[in-house]
Amino acid sequence: MINGLPVLWNKGFSFVSQKPQTLSVLEIEKGSYTVPTENFDNMLLNNPDELAIGNLEDFEKSFAYKTFKIDNGSIIGEGYLKEIEKENKGYYLRFAKRDFATKSGFSVATDKKFNIKKEELAIIQQHDPGLIKGEITEKVINLNKKKVTIKAGEYDLSKNGHDALIPTELVFQMKQSFPDDEPEKINTTIIPKDQTITVTSAIYNQAFDEDERGTIPVAEEVAIPYTVTFNQFTLPAAKYKVSAETLKVLSNYGIKHLHNPMLGSIVVNDDDDEKVTLNEKQFKRLVNDNPKLILSQIEDSQQNVSYTKFDLQKDSEIQLNFSDFLIFKKDKNFSPSSEKTHSYSGGGILGPIIGTACLVIICMTIALFTGIAAATYLNEYARKGGFTRIIRLAMLNLAGVPSIVFGLFGLGLFVMIAPVFSATPNVESKFHVPIVALGSAPDLRTLESEGIEIVDSTLSTTQAVETANLVGAKKFYNGWYYISFQGWGTCMLAGGFTLAIMVLPVIITSCEESLKAVPMGFREAAMALGATKWQSIRTAVLPYAFPGILTASILGITRVAGETAPIMFTAAAAEKSDLPWQGIHSSGFSAFVDFLQQSVQALPYHIYTVAGRIPQSEYTQPMQYGSVLVFMIIVFMLSAVSIYLRIKIRNRIKW
Amino acid sequence: MISIDNVSFSYDLGKTEVLRNISLEIPEKKVTSFIGPSGCGKSTLLRCLNRMNDLVETSRVTTGEIRIMGQDINGKDVDAIELRKHIGMVFQKYNPFPKSIYDNVAYGLRIQGIKNKKKLDEAVEASLRGAALWDEVKDRLKDSALGLSGGQQQRLCIARTMAVQPKIILMDEPCSALDPIATAKVEELITELREDYTIVIVTHSMQQASRISDRTAFFYLGELIEYEDTETIFQNPGVKRTEDYISGRFG
Repeated sequence: MINGLPVLWNKGFSFVSQKPQTLSVLEIEKGSYTVPTENFDNMLLNNPDELAIGNLEDFEKSFAYKTFKIDNGSIIGEGYLKEIEKENKGYYLRFAKRDFATKSGFSVATDKKFNIKKEELAIIQQHDPGLIKGEITEKVINLNKKKVTIKAGEYDLSKNGHDALIPTELVFQMKQSFPDDEPEKINTTIIPKDQTITVTSAIYNQAFDEDERGTIPVAEEVAIPYTVTFNQFTLPAAKYKVSAETLKVLSNYGIKHLHNPMLGSIVVNDDDDEKVTLNEKQFKRLVNDNPKLILSQIEDSQQNVSYTKFDLQKDSEIQLNFSDFLIFKKDKNFSPSSEKTHSYSGGGILGPIIGTACLVIICMTIALFTGIAAATYLNEYARKGGFTRIIRLAMLNLAGVPSIVFGLFGLGLFVMIAPVFSATPNVESKFHVPIVALGSAPDLRTLESEGIEIVDSTLSTTQAVETANLVGAKKFYNGWYYISFQGWGTCMLAGGFTLAIMVLPVIITSCEESLKAVPMGFREAAMALGATKWQSIRTAVLPYAFPGILTASILGITRVAGETAPIMFTAAAAEKSDLPWQGIHSSGFSAFVDFLQQSVQALPYHIYTVAGRIPQSEYTQPMQYGSVLVFMIIVFMLSAVSIYLRIKIRNRIKW
Repeated sequence: MISIDNVSFSYDLGKTEVLRNISLEIPEKKVTSFIGPSGCGKSTLLRCLNRMNDLVETSRVTTGEIRIMGQDINGKDVDAIELRKHIGMVFQKYNPFPKSIYDNVAYGLRIQGIKNKKKLDEAVEASLRGAALWDEVKDRLKDSALGLSGGQQQRLCIARTMAVQPKIILMDEPCSALDPIATAKVEELITELREDYTIVIVTHSMQQASRISDRTAFFYLGELIEYEDTETIFQNPGVKRTEDYISGRFG
């Protein structure tokens, strides 16, 4: 905790107001750089006292933007749509149709030479006969293949070599696997017997080059001639429109565009009147590359961004949040000589704090509702006897169950088999119970992104599941609404329920204590005035038990907020870039359901991640200490509030 | 008004009887007091009259009938909730809700679903006047009832009972937690109330019984020993044990 203080001191408020990020540690040569002031300030926060910075100069740059509306009937490439959606948070186009017939546009900035295969040329000439105006020359290129013989034995092998060998026929076995975050690592491989395989020269270079460590020595090699005929032509710098098939071919040769020639363009058909904004450059490219785009209400706007120019007076190592680093990179002078990344070590812990808050709110809503109901039943209605004794015994036992058991229970019940009401149930659901044939077909975008297969509505559920399974779909749709026992997935709702079950014994016990503390006289007085039992409880018991319940529930909150094990399998995500309310594209009730059905970051789980699951370094430590300190502060604050409330309420209410 | 006919009562499904074969007639618009030593069953009998004993699950009237205005209150078709609207009860320990004075008096009407502000205002004023409390609290109706003195709180409870316009008011040692001056005020109130209500009062104070009641019943160990006009029972008791109790030889 003491180690956490300097972290909070240095990072200040940004520690709790920024999302967790990857930290980039960069070696920068001295020189003059220009970056937006916001990112410059972030850099200062991340490097409190080490940088030698001079000649600061602030100035404003203005950027031109276009605001416009995309009209119905427009045809737009998928990548362009995604770009618009990225720049305009909240804009989400549901489309129902894709289009292959329209030609897609792209532009070539400087004359570009192509070497393409004969079959590919045929495709281009078939679909866009007029595209190639210049001369087409044939050229034969010799791509050597090699027949290599490898002796059995153990060799060092790099990750590159390993990846190159996977598609070949070579039989080999790695002694260790390659971790994702250490691409430089060299492991030992076992070649069980002498083998001879034929490989292309590219693979040969990766895996068999004899000089280097990390490649396999070759006992014998024979070159096999392998020639390919290429057709050579040039596309002069200009704008072009081509069919999807041609674009598919040209995409392999470095043509820059954002179309998706495999799936086709998107036909806009949207009743929303939403306007979107792009910067001038993106707008130009959009208009250029999408010939069938219909735009209206185009407006120009300017946006001034404050920039800072600074001199770095000596070569230094600086730490940057990854998002800042991306912006810094836009400065052409800025070219780090070395670059290391440390996950979760930059930014702050806003995401985990919000996530924990969401989990606590959901959990306490469920726990208080059921807890108060159960306590009221036990204290006011239930007969004292065997049944209540069993319930109390069960509650005592439940309070003593280790929290990881609750986590596994939640995983089994809520994440994997809890029922869901859906028109597009999972294929892998435990049961499907059809209810009504009133499902409305999902739009094409949902179908594509969620892997939904539309099945004939005359098929029985079992047949529908089989059909969808055959084509490898994740979900199916046949016009029926189902109660599908497929679980809620790893999400806030599942986590909330799991935590609620965990605190339920505590809540029930303390609610019951609070109810017992309300004098019998209140119940009698209410009953004597002609109140029904429920009326007397509602008007003369619960309101006076409420302060006690409140105190108990705040204590419950501190416990829930601190739990890691129950949410590990049911709700927590190690990394998530959006806050819970961001990135939801539905509206009304289904937006609420989507909100609940997403995983979140949570503070205790985040601490576990940064402290135990990522490679440790001096850069990850501030995040650990800072997170723990903030977490302790939150818990202390909640406890203090509960103590304060208890004292205040005790003084206020007497009877 | 109330006729109790050969009633026996048990708190534990008939294993032991706390009241045995009680029979008495309680007259309308009179004050009837139940006296007797602790544990003699007088409070239990009182609580039988508005079925407050229903709160104890194992309690039963084992024999006999209690008829109020001719109707058997333990009959199957009698709703205890409805019954209690007609039979108010004031408890030994004054128990106003921790709400405002106004809300306390209006409580009984509100749970009957009356929301009309004017009706409530009228009823609250009438009840507080009836309980001789209006002048003391009319300026602070919105203040917490817990700020009143003990006697005022007990009279507030009486007002709260009166607000639902019962025919009968049962009082379970209403003055036992009050000082003599507050007791005098409550007694005065009871004397006034007798004109409109049938009042049954359980008391430990013989003086109180003799001061305020028209009829007195003496209970001993779950049995009704004697039931007579108050004057008769205090001046010329028919049974030796009554005389012993009244003159303070035991109890």
